[in-house]
Amino acid sequence: MPVVSITGLKKRFKEQEVIKGLDFQLNEGKCIALLGANGAGKTTTLKMLAGLVKPDSGSIVYEGGEKADFRRFIGYLPQFPVFYEWMTGREFLEYAGQLAGLPKAEAKDRAKDLLELTGISEAKNRRIGKYSGGMKQRLGIAQAIIHRPRLVMLDEPVSALDPFGRREVLELLNRLKKETAILFSTHILNDAEEICDEILFLHGGELIESGTLAELRTRHQQAKIDLVFKANTAEYAEEISLLPPVSSMEVNGDSASFLVNDIEKARKIFLTEIAQRKWPLVKFEISRTSLEDVFMKVVKK
Amino acid sequence: MEILESINWAILAPIIVIQLILMAVAIIDLIKIEKANGPKWIWALVILFINLLGPIIYFIFGRRS
Amino acid sequence: MKQLVTLFKKEMLEMARNFKWIWVPLTFVLIAVKEPLVLYYLPQIIDSLGGLPEGAVIELPVPSAGEALAASLSQFNTLGVLIIVLITMGTIAGERKSGVTELILVKPVSYAGFVTAKWSSSMMLIWFSYFLGYFLSWYYVGILFEFIPFADFLQSFFVYGIWLTLIITIVILLNTFIKSSGAVGFISIGIIIIATLLSTSLSHLLAWSPALLSAYTNTFIIGGNFPDELLPSIIVSVIAIMFSILASIAIFKRRELA
Repeated sequence: MPVVSITGLKKRFKEQEVIKGLDFQLNEGKCIALLGANGAGKTTTLKMLAGLVKPDSGSIVYEGGEKADFRRFIGYLPQFPVFYEWMTGREFLEYAGQLAGLPKAEAKDRAKDLLELTGISEAKNRRIGKYSGGMKQRLGIAQAIIHRPRLVMLDEPVSALDPFGRREVLELLNRLKKETAILFSTHILNDAEEICDEILFLHGGELIESGTLAELRTRHQQAKIDLVFKANTAEYAEEISLLPPVSSMEVNGDSASFLVNDIEKARKIFLTEIAQRKWPLVKFEISRTSLEDVFMKVVKK
Repeated sequence: MEILESINWAILAPIIVIQLILMAVAIIDLIKIEKANGPKWIWALVILFINLLGPIIYFIFGRRS
Repeated sequence: MKQLVTLFKKEMLEMARNFKWIWVPLTFVLIAVKEPLVLYYLPQIIDSLGGLPEGAVIELPVPSAGEALAASLSQFNTLGVLIIVLITMGTIAGERKSGVTELILVKPVSYAGFVTAKWSSSMMLIWFSYFLGYFLSWYYVGILFEFIPFADFLQSFFVYGIWLTLIITIVILLNTFIKSSGAVGFISIGIIIIATLLSTSLSHLLAWSPALLSAYTNTFIIGGNFPDELLPSIIVSVIAIMFSILASIAIFKRRELA
């Protein structure tokens, strides 16, 4: 049972079509990364899902049906969350909890637990105006999940943080995975790979690729052979690229990479050829293309 | 200074007290807030030296909302 | 309903934290009480400024108690209205501009409740301040001139309060669809000035105009009687207030909040 189904979603701002038709479903209890470069349409997509921006066409249907107030099923954290600076962290969480429909006592309990969970309970009685960026981000996550939503949407939750803060927030998300479905946008593949089961790959307002990490890997990974010669790598590489198993070649300084179709066959051919011609081979390495390569390839197009 | 004698201070005192409270609250607020809408010392001058209206002007325009 | 209380409490807390509950009432007291005092001490004030040139004779008629109280009302109608607009012009627009509403309205918050909480909290602050200022002005007038019957004070208080309520409501209405609080303030002031100018210059045609409530209240305080046009004016005002509140909610619901 999908938490939300999206069909034919489109949005245009003035002249520019930002979202050119999205179709996907989010399932319960999954962690999904919305991956894409800046300007790919991630923020607009999340805002439409949160009900802050109205789509021009298409539909977003949450599991409760079209009539119910879907806002009780979702939690949302914008890229740059702004709070009431005059409130304390604890007050804001209790307020958010009560607005989300929790009884006062429960809102208090939840606020206390979440302040612990997100590691800001020391600062709970300080005004939010005095919080650091990382603390605000964590408070933002806390307010998004205070009412135990079925789906939490986070817009670039780690992009603005230093490495230390980023580590903490990623670990927090890892823990959250057990309680709720997470959809979070990022332009950093590593972050997506680290905590997510599935990836939605957005580019230019279109979904160009999606699936579980394993699926994506098998679909896009190709065997790769890296060679380094003592000298004149480019020259040798040129000749090797004419061999049958090579599908493409790239030379970077004194090392050359070859994408090959059949790794076993390629290894045999490469090694015999090099041995026969007595080329001064220094390094021979078999590897696989990473998702990063796939990501870069698509973004560069 | 005839005028000072002819004034009924019992009547005027509350006005002066109100004015002082406004000033005090404005100054306390100015000290406490992170950032004012412009340099703080200018606001301090406004609060202290513009009669009657100083603190009010500060509350309306000086706090960064 | 429970949520409305939560929203309302938050507004109250905010007004306490930014000292609005202190400075707005005190300001209303100052601008109201100043009038009877100045009128009473006017001869001495002129004296202290060097007096009149010799030979010049200016007759300073001693103002009546009604005129002194009416002077306070006219202060509310200028400075008071200005302050009301300035403190309410950002109540929704400011939150939307800063981006807090992105967090708040993604929660299952009733749009009607949100607008109602804003409206009723502003109403409370301003009616309280207005009452305090006007009451003390009445008291000072009583001490310095003579006491006006308390019932008359109350009547004028409520009638003129309708006009202030309409102003608050219009500012809230503009807040629901204009994102810049400066623009909200500017347009509100514009509407109030135009309405006042039109109604006073065409008072025979626009006798029902809410903008004339202050004039009618003046007539009442000074002369003791409300004109016949008062009733239509009140009815039009009340209708306009109710319509504006409903419109605010309807517009706010439909707005894209990002």
